[in-house]
Amino acid sequence: MSKIIKGPSTRELMEQMVQESEHLSLSDRRDFLRKGVAAAAGIAATTFAGRSIAAEINKANLPPNEPAWGKQLGHGVVEQPYGSPSQFEKHVVRRTVPWLTADSIASISMTPLQDLKGIITPNGLVFERYHGGVPQINPDEHRLIIHGLVERPLIFTMEDLMRFPSVSEIKFIECPANGGMEWKGAQMEALQFTHGMLSCCEWTGVPLRVLLEEAGVKPEGKWILAEGADGAHMSRSIPLEKALDDTLVVYAQNGEMLRPEQGYPLRLLNPGWEGNTSIKWLRRLEVGDQPWYHREETSKYTDLMPDGRARKFTFVQEANSVITTPCPENPLVKPGFVEIEGLAWSGRGKVKHVDISFDGGVTWVPANLKGLVLDKSLTRFSLVTKWNGQPWLLQSRSVDETGYVQPTLGQLREVRGGNSIYHKNSIHTWKVAPTGEITNVQIT
Amino acid sequence: MFKSLDIKTPLIVLTLGVTLSLSGGFIYAGQFDIGETATAEQIEGWDIDIRPDGKGLPEGRGTVEAGEVLYEERCATCHGLFGEGEGRWPVLAGGQGTLKDERPTKTVGSYWPYASTLYDYIRRAMPFTAPRSLSDQQVYDVTAYVLYLNEIVEDDFVLTKDSLASIEMPNQDNFFVDPRPDVQNKRCMENCADPKKLMITGTLKGITPVGHFVQGADAPAASHDAQMEKEQEEEKQRKASITGEAIAEQHTVEAASLSELALAGKTTYEGACKVCHGSGLTGSPKFGDSDAWSARIKKGMPVLLDHAINGFSGDTGVMPPKGGRVDLSDKQVEQAVAYMVESSQ
Repeated sequence: MSKIIKGPSTRELMEQMVQESEHLSLSDRRDFLRKGVAAAAGIAATTFAGRSIAAEINKANLPPNEPAWGKQLGHGVVEQPYGSPSQFEKHVVRRTVPWLTADSIASISMTPLQDLKGIITPNGLVFERYHGGVPQINPDEHRLIIHGLVERPLIFTMEDLMRFPSVSEIKFIECPANGGMEWKGAQMEALQFTHGMLSCCEWTGVPLRVLLEEAGVKPEGKWILAEGADGAHMSRSIPLEKALDDTLVVYAQNGEMLRPEQGYPLRLLNPGWEGNTSIKWLRRLEVGDQPWYHREETSKYTDLMPDGRARKFTFVQEANSVITTPCPENPLVKPGFVEIEGLAWSGRGKVKHVDISFDGGVTWVPANLKGLVLDKSLTRFSLVTKWNGQPWLLQSRSVDETGYVQPTLGQLREVRGGNSIYHKNSIHTWKVAPTGEITNVQIT
Repeated sequence: MFKSLDIKTPLIVLTLGVTLSLSGGFIYAGQFDIGETATAEQIEGWDIDIRPDGKGLPEGRGTVEAGEVLYEERCATCHGLFGEGEGRWPVLAGGQGTLKDERPTKTVGSYWPYASTLYDYIRRAMPFTAPRSLSDQQVYDVTAYVLYLNEIVEDDFVLTKDSLASIEMPNQDNFFVDPRPDVQNKRCMENCADPKKLMITGTLKGITPVGHFVQGADAPAASHDAQMEKEQEEEKQRKASITGEAIAEQHTVEAASLSELALAGKTTYEGACKVCHGSGLTGSPKFGDSDAWSARIKKGMPVLLDHAINGFSGDTGVMPPKGGRVDLSDKQVEQAVAYMVESSQ
């Protein structure tokens, strides 16, 4: 079990923060959060944001009364042949920031990390990233071709691919632009938008190594081009070394066939690497002796440095973490015990430690890793403590099994400036006001 | 986990990667012998990629002159006549010397390391609404023109297999392989920073769509459609404030009142027309905007249909033939036009 720890020890800092939060809450916020208001007014938690805002609690359903649903019968089997979440969970949805992109067809949406438990992302909530929309592919008409520097070019049907011995692995997938709107300053007022280009599923398919061995890669083969069947024919060059290591050709997620949004009927999965290399709607793999330098590895997904030069092939998603409770969408409702929870992950392997700071990074205490701790998977961390209305500058910091420690924003900016867009994995700060309201701040 | 899958110990007698004698010829066979040998014809149809050394380029001869005509017809609605980009669509030209700026402009000319990428990308994904619709020759022409817009080639340049691979892009030498891990933080537990020196900066307000959890927030739009609506409205207000005109009410007809012809056009509209007509991009009449459509509707359906099928250059913008979707039948275009017209009266 967790150790129960006290908040920040620096009295001066606390006083300074109290003053600042009061100032902020008076002048800067447009509104109190619904939950914060409810708590302050001592009303029962009827006003959780997103749950039908106008819905009133029907007192006839409260004890000692027998609630309405216990006095009648519900619907029977296969009323919903494919079930969906409760009607009271309609607020748990993917969301987008429309001004980021010109159109919804070549755009991105974010996973509601603030509403999820454990480490698995439900299939309907996995973040979306399309470059030419979602194609509707008939699996019987889908083919995967492997050609180029191989002994025997192959063409597979879906049926063929599903005959290979399969593997199932839990891996996160993250867009390298996750957090990328905040290189120059905090500008997203919610966890879903600061970290939601991130999901984690159990993926089932065939190791790419098996398929490549089936085709026989020639000794000159060093790179693979992966290409999608979508309207963007999305393509990326992947070093053969990765392809032979842990890359999967995937047809199922979380126990069912891939969702169309995730590449149905077939996608690549490069564990721990930037999400766009995991080509969806996979139709072609070409083996070559050098990379192709296509649009999505030159114009995009290269990282511009302050000296005007740019990094290429920035594949790895380095160790990262974020606190999901509390967060702007999940404010602290009342003083007392609170379980601080969050997610940590590393593209280089397992998460080894997560530490939490209550004072903006001056003092740190270790958190507990909860449940499964897997290679290149989301890992949930937790720390039980008490909140008595004191202001916090709450942070989490992950360390992976290679010893890499999640950096501060200052450290990243010093090396990379503010225009590199991708791979911002710095320590994130939530400011906890005495009202329990949580806001996104940056500490440098 | 797949390491536990012992593929080195096959159940069948074949060893990995042997050559087998079958029907008198030698062919490579893997362990599982699943899948067919892909034919040269099958591969050729899908092998569309181009490399910086020119590998993959088809035969062809592209000119700036022919590219200009195509570009203005098929590309300019989104990318602008001079590659300056309309709305939030990508800027293609200019930006040289800005890569160290506070706000760099990354274009084909200022940023892209290889000209081959341009041919490859246009061939695989452009025009946005009609990917894989251009011939190899047309891709050569448009590529030549975009290079010309970036002052990388002269107006008499002829783009061929050989000349494309020989083009040196201005920013070619400024890419280097990922050096990460590039920062080293320590797992410090106490006195890790001076509390008095912490700089705390708050969030920029008003640009996050937080309407789902902040009560009464004047939140930005939560969807692309709502964002377009909002920008359109702002533009209307701005124009009205200049001309002093009253703002006409927009109204959208309920789906129930649409004719059968119009209802059949909804799918075509969503997939082909909405990219421009959904937002009123580059002067196109916006879906549902009765003001924008009324003068056009007055010309009559045959004229509208002729413009939609054969293309039209109007005062406010250019309608490419079938909106660039030459794969659509005339009937599909007719249905989509009916859908837009009936929804915008």
